[in-house]
Amino acid sequence: MEEEKLLTGEESLQLITGMINKAKNSFHDSGTSMLLWGSCVSVAAMVTYLQLEFNFSIGFNIWLIILFAVIPQVFITMRENRRRKVVGYDGYAINVVWSTYAFTICGLIIYESIVPSAFQHIIQNEGWQLTKHYLDQSRPDEVLEPFTLSITSIYILIYAFPTIIMGRIRNYRPMITGAIITYVLFVASCFTTTKYDMIFSCIAAIACWLIPGLILRKKYLKQKANV
Amino acid sequence: MFKDLDPILHSQLRLATMSLLISVKEAEFTFIKEQTNATAGNLSVQIQKLKDAGYIEVIKEFKDNYPNTTCKITPKGVRAFEDYVKSLQAYLHITKK
Repeated sequence: MEEEKLLTGEESLQLITGMINKAKNSFHDSGTSMLLWGSCVSVAAMVTYLQLEFNFSIGFNIWLIILFAVIPQVFITMRENRRRKVVGYDGYAINVVWSTYAFTICGLIIYESIVPSAFQHIIQNEGWQLTKHYLDQSRPDEVLEPFTLSITSIYILIYAFPTIIMGRIRNYRPMITGAIITYVLFVASCFTTTKYDMIFSCIAAIACWLIPGLILRKKYLKQKANV
Repeated sequence: MFKDLDPILHSQLRLATMSLLISVKEAEFTFIKEQTNATAGNLSVQIQKLKDAGYIEVIKEFKDNYPNTTCKITPKGVRAFEDYVKSLQAYLHITKK
């Protein structure tokens, strides 16, 4: 392509259209990550179903393959980043969505590992426990440790999901900060009762939306006044 | 006839580079070179001119122990490109009449 060739109007428009089309056609997803996770999760779920249905055990937790799948995923991501010469706007947005999804899944794993023991700790401090009592008294009472849902914690985790996606795509720091604060509040809420979860929920809403919203509103009114 | 058109953009290679960069978040130097079929030396000069005009941001870093240059369009560049296209459309509209 020549350095300083002057173009006619038609040539300029043709050049712009051609280059935009070239850029659009340069994104190709290998699909490797989708194949990896699609096969891992479907195999783990099916093996779990078969174990429950036919009452047998394979001797280890099949869901551990998910942890092992993280290792090749890291290498796939590194290799794709090395090979990638161009980052499109949609590609960046898709990466943000998937990384937030992965972060949310990690949050749920944390939730699953903290909530049952935290619940037991809370009720022990209150001086009571859940028991299984046989009405015919054929067997002694058994202490129950059921998985108790802490639904507000999940709501708090979900609050952060769109907030961090929007913040990262628009590069809007108040929303990114709000989402990070919300992730911290989510972990804290796994240890507390619903009463305190509501306080965390309130702080999360303020950090995620109210403060960033006020900042945006201020900018909007300023721009409106200048027009 | 083209006196209203931005002289920085109204050159083949610089316009091609800006058209590529307007469509993507960021692109490596090698990608722009491949898509425009320009020589490395020529492209470097034109990228420097766009950078000096504040139309693009040039990030130099190392990738796998090799120097790597990445370019991304700036908000000023986006505005200049939009104005250029508007002027071009207006010109074409007038000539068709």
